[in-house]
Amino acid sequence: MIYYLRRQVFFARALNITLLQFNGRGEVMLLGIDVGGTFTDAVLVDNGAVYAQAKHPTTHGEVLRGILDALDAVLDGADVTQIERVVISSTIVTNALTEGKTQPVFLAVMTGPGMNVKGCFPVEPYLVSGYVDHRGKIAARTEFNKHYGLLDRQSGVTVAAVSGKFAVRNPENEYVLAHELKKSGYKKVFLGSELSGELNFIRRTNSAYFAAAVDKTFEAFGKQVEWALKERNITAPVQILKADGGTLPLEAALKQPVEAVFTGPAASVLGIEALGAAPEGKCISLDVGGTTTDIAFWDNGEPLLAKKGAMIGKYPTAVRSFHMRSVGIGGDSAITKLPQGFKVGPERAGRAAALGGAAATLADALIVLGLASFGDAGASFKALSALCHEGESPEMAAQAVLDAALDVIENAIKDMLHEWSIQPVYTVSDVLSGSDFIPQQLVGVGGGAPGLIHALGRRMGLPVVIPPGGMVANAIGAALARPTVAASLRADTTEGYYLIPESGKRERLPKRFNMQAAEEILSAWLHEKAGGWQMESSDTEVISREYFRTVHGYYDTGEIIYLRMQLKPGILYKITGREVAF
Amino acid sequence: MKQANLGLIFFPAFDWMISPGHPERQERLLYTRDQLTEEGLFDRPEIREYRLRMAEINDLQRAHVGVPSIAKLITPAHLASAGGCMTAADAVMSGEVKRAFALVRPPGHHAMRIVHGIRGFCTINIEAVMVEYLRSRYGIKKIAVVDTDVHHGDGSQDIFYHDPNVLYISFHQDGRTLYPGTGFPDEAGSPAAWGYNINLPLLPGSGDKEIHRLFDGLIKPILEDFEPELIINSAGQDNHFSDPLASMSVTAHGYAALADKLKADIAVLEGGYSIEAALPYVNTGIILAMAEMDYSKVIEPDIRALRTPDPRCMTRVEQLIDQVGNIWRTRREVGRMLLDKCGGKWQRRKGIYYDEEGIREEQLETAHYCTKCSGWMSIDTNARGTRYGDQSAYVVCLHRDTCADCQKAAYDDALRAKQSCAYKYILLQHPDTGVVETI
Repeated sequence: MIYYLRRQVFFARALNITLLQFNGRGEVMLLGIDVGGTFTDAVLVDNGAVYAQAKHPTTHGEVLRGILDALDAVLDGADVTQIERVVISSTIVTNALTEGKTQPVFLAVMTGPGMNVKGCFPVEPYLVSGYVDHRGKIAARTEFNKHYGLLDRQSGVTVAAVSGKFAVRNPENEYVLAHELKKSGYKKVFLGSELSGELNFIRRTNSAYFAAAVDKTFEAFGKQVEWALKERNITAPVQILKADGGTLPLEAALKQPVEAVFTGPAASVLGIEALGAAPEGKCISLDVGGTTTDIAFWDNGEPLLAKKGAMIGKYPTAVRSFHMRSVGIGGDSAITKLPQGFKVGPERAGRAAALGGAAATLADALIVLGLASFGDAGASFKALSALCHEGESPEMAAQAVLDAALDVIENAIKDMLHEWSIQPVYTVSDVLSGSDFIPQQLVGVGGGAPGLIHALGRRMGLPVVIPPGGMVANAIGAALARPTVAASLRADTTEGYYLIPESGKRERLPKRFNMQAAEEILSAWLHEKAGGWQMESSDTEVISREYFRTVHGYYDTGEIIYLRMQLKPGILYKITGREVAF
Repeated sequence: MKQANLGLIFFPAFDWMISPGHPERQERLLYTRDQLTEEGLFDRPEIREYRLRMAEINDLQRAHVGVPSIAKLITPAHLASAGGCMTAADAVMSGEVKRAFALVRPPGHHAMRIVHGIRGFCTINIEAVMVEYLRSRYGIKKIAVVDTDVHHGDGSQDIFYHDPNVLYISFHQDGRTLYPGTGFPDEAGSPAAWGYNINLPLLPGSGDKEIHRLFDGLIKPILEDFEPELIINSAGQDNHFSDPLASMSVTAHGYAALADKLKADIAVLEGGYSIEAALPYVNTGIILAMAEMDYSKVIEPDIRALRTPDPRCMTRVEQLIDQVGNIWRTRREVGRMLLDKCGGKWQRRKGIYYDEEGIREEQLETAHYCTKCSGWMSIDTNARGTRYGDQSAYVVCLHRDTCADCQKAAYDDALRAKQSCAYKYILLQHPDTGVVETI
């Protein structure tokens, strides 16, 4: 599960990034805006270097003010007509969900036979007849009782979510139901099969539900962003960052607002990638903020995506995200004295005692141990002394605090390693090749990283890298994120059709059809989709593929081809920064 | 870690087949995978999915002796499916899950102790490998295996035939109408294990009502009487009304309800070749039942194709309850009598046909009894037409508790066979370690 809490800047330190090197395509001005619950950050990347960056408080309820302030700070003196693209990452959706500020949704599902879905969704759904079998045959057509939909409509519900089991094999029933609901007066209807082309009815349904639930919040946010940019004469296209680190044009995101959840940690991962900080081989990155540490896995410089979609609360969704986890340990983490030892986090204590805070934080413990140096070290010692158990020196207490914090982080890493290692495999060759993740290195970014991660590296027996420029990693990540789209194609040649569920495109198979032809069709569709959104399309890549020959009796009857592809995610180009303190 | 109700080891072996077009081919569990994934079962908190680990050759050799060797007869897929069962055993024994389901292929219940090749789609008896693993690793003694596949599990019967601590119960379509043609009530075990091999041949067409009456009226009371430490279910799914290789009328709901009653500690997939119309639903039903979830909504789309069984099917069930119930109740006295009669040595002759490879095997199996231990066993095997040509071997099998005197007798016997020069191989099996010695 990913918890996203707005990160705080840990150390009060100004910094500047100078360009050392970048790989081509750097001749554009890119604007990245990260709208958080506490701060709004903006970064302007020009010619492959950070031109300006700013941080302004997001006054509660006044998102617009925060955006405008941050924009004014970074745009000072810049030629806004040169801006080619604006990417927004925001906790708006995450916050709306965690705070329960969502709108009521009419949820209708077509389960057919199978598991009882009671308790599987955030609200009890209306069970509608009609279902599709696993081969995509309509076993029963939907018969919607208009009466149900009208009941909710009359009580003011304006959005609906519709989902059918195996709708990704045949979305017809979903279309019919959506059409009926629109006729009943629902303004927007979200379809499970359009939000994800992959199997998993429960996850698709939850995705559709959450998309509908945050629709209004997200739409209002989108309007504010557009207004603010227009106000500052920025006409460049606006894109939204997704949890998988890709971007979507704002108008496309409005159709799937749930994708805008968990973008904060994704931005941080992209930032690490942009800084070129992840080395060859397998490594683990730790982004240490004020309140949380975001942990992600890397293989040969690329972040690993989770095999399953993200959890929203206790509900699994089809939202793709990185294989990462946030733990409540950061520089500002509160220290709780226990009868024996200490507990660190997950609450935030506020500023470190060294910076004038009231109580000791994890940062103060690091200062006492000589693992960090800023502010008034004497104040840190004093704050730690107040927490000592009998016969314990401030140094001993600080060490115990550090150990407690490292325990939390190390356990999270162990959990993630375990989760990765038990991912099941379905072929003999995969069993034989194995896919264990054995980390070779730790990469620490964020203000609190150096002292804490070096200590963690010693404990885990792993070398540690602290790349320069890590403090603004996630702002840079947002600015440089690549647009992505993923889609799947399934063809059952006995049926004579192929289907791209994300688009609802169902077409007769061409005469010569095989895996290669499928790749060409899907790749063309992805490029077409990107083109329609005025997105510069990168290369496509295959995420997964399956090929089976079907046999009836003793005869070959056809082939089943399944293909999932995407526009390659990642960052537009890397920058290598150098940290300059002044 | 909170205990989950069900540990699931799902291994569809999408890259393994016996031959193109064979029922045991790559996509056998494809539609099942689709259904389970679409239902969202892998995300449920009641279910914990496991990644299987590979078995090792010695794990297989606790249950088998291969001629020329097990290693030369198997593919890596067999190590994976046997390993999947061992993973299931570990999950249950560690307490991480209440029970487990190894939904793996290739299957195993037609594989006998001596292996020359593939028979009935099986090379390695994955349940037997798991049973022997449970004994060696966890010291489990009394185990019941309930085989709900439509075919008689003649391999499991062969391996457990002398073992009074393994209660093997199989209900299946009558052997006069279906492969492998065995599995009648009089095949009740060797004298030392008389009554612990229970065969319940049902008439073709039998359905939910029949198997549930059989379970309630006979299988359940026998299980309660036996008091096993663990119950294993050989969960074949070809009693389903849509199965192309058999002629029964059981539904997904019937299977699920049976799994619910049986409450097996570990279930292992066996046969089932209605890969589109049955397996997706039967497996969903069994998983829901084992995970203690609601399975009442699992209904096949083509349930209308189901026919009402002939009344003679139920008559057969009642006869079996009567006849086999009697074998069970009198097993101790009859067993003692048979032991006394055989005079320390019991023999059976077997003709075994490997349908997959056209191998004809002749076996003479001798159980050597001892008053101090379980004794030992010798098997004289001759096979024609194996992939390594004609084979002959003399195999001596020790039991876990074989005493020093018997061990010496067994070794002497093996040496005598060697000196006779009548066999290509002389092999000696140690069941606890899985070491097979070449003498």
